[in-house]
Amino acid sequence: MLDIKFGEQGQIVVSGRFDASQAEHAEAFLNKVLESREMDLGGLQYISSLGLGVLLATQKRLMSSGHALKLTNVRGHIREIFHFSGFEQVFEIEPNPPA
Amino acid sequence: MESRAQQSFPRTASCLPQIFAFMDAFFAEAPVGDACRNTAQLAVEELFTNLVKYSRGGKRDIRIDLRRDDDRLIVSLTDFDVEPFDIRTVPDAKTDLSLEERKPGGLGIHLVKRLVDHIDYEYADRNSTTTFIKNLE
Repeated sequence: MLDIKFGEQGQIVVSGRFDASQAEHAEAFLNKVLESREMDLGGLQYISSLGLGVLLATQKRLMSSGHALKLTNVRGHIREIFHFSGFEQVFEIEPNPPA
Repeated sequence: MESRAQQSFPRTASCLPQIFAFMDAFFAEAPVGDACRNTAQLAVEELFTNLVKYSRGGKRDIRIDLRRDDDRLIVSLTDFDVEPFDIRTVPDAKTDLSLEERKPGGLGIHLVKRLVDHIDYEYADRNSTTTFIKNLE
């Protein structure tokens, strides 16, 4: 299951599995986001291409009005997938602190 | 030591949770690391949903075979009585475009080709089998 919600500082907090079956749920939530936000992906365990597409579509929509998502706590397997998807070119991704 | 499992699934994306459960049950018996498990599930999700969306003529269930030996995970998806479709011939997604030029979609096969260690394709008697290998760390 995917959990997506607003955190105490207004950031978007995502955890769980972002597979094809969760894309509609996530898209409905992200369509409510109308301005720049940080998106904390520290609890994200899995993402597939449909989930990547939802993030990309959200970024395109926000950028068209001068806003953007900034991705934080992107780790391990998820960072590798973002790299192969070219997400460094279209998102600001916060570097991870040293382990 | 080798472990094997095989199951067939209806050609609808709504059975992805059942596919993940099947894979998790296999990994409980034949453990792999989290990264390998996630890569395998991602590759199966992308290949399966691709067959559901695009496989021409397919009506029968899609069979998934899992095999783990000492140092490799080997996964095959077989689509029966269909036209051939070799994912190795699919052009890479253009991931270096600007955000304005990029369109959501097209990343699935691109990711599979980068995340697994080897891909094979076999087409015989109108049955189409894609096999990928992930080396265990």
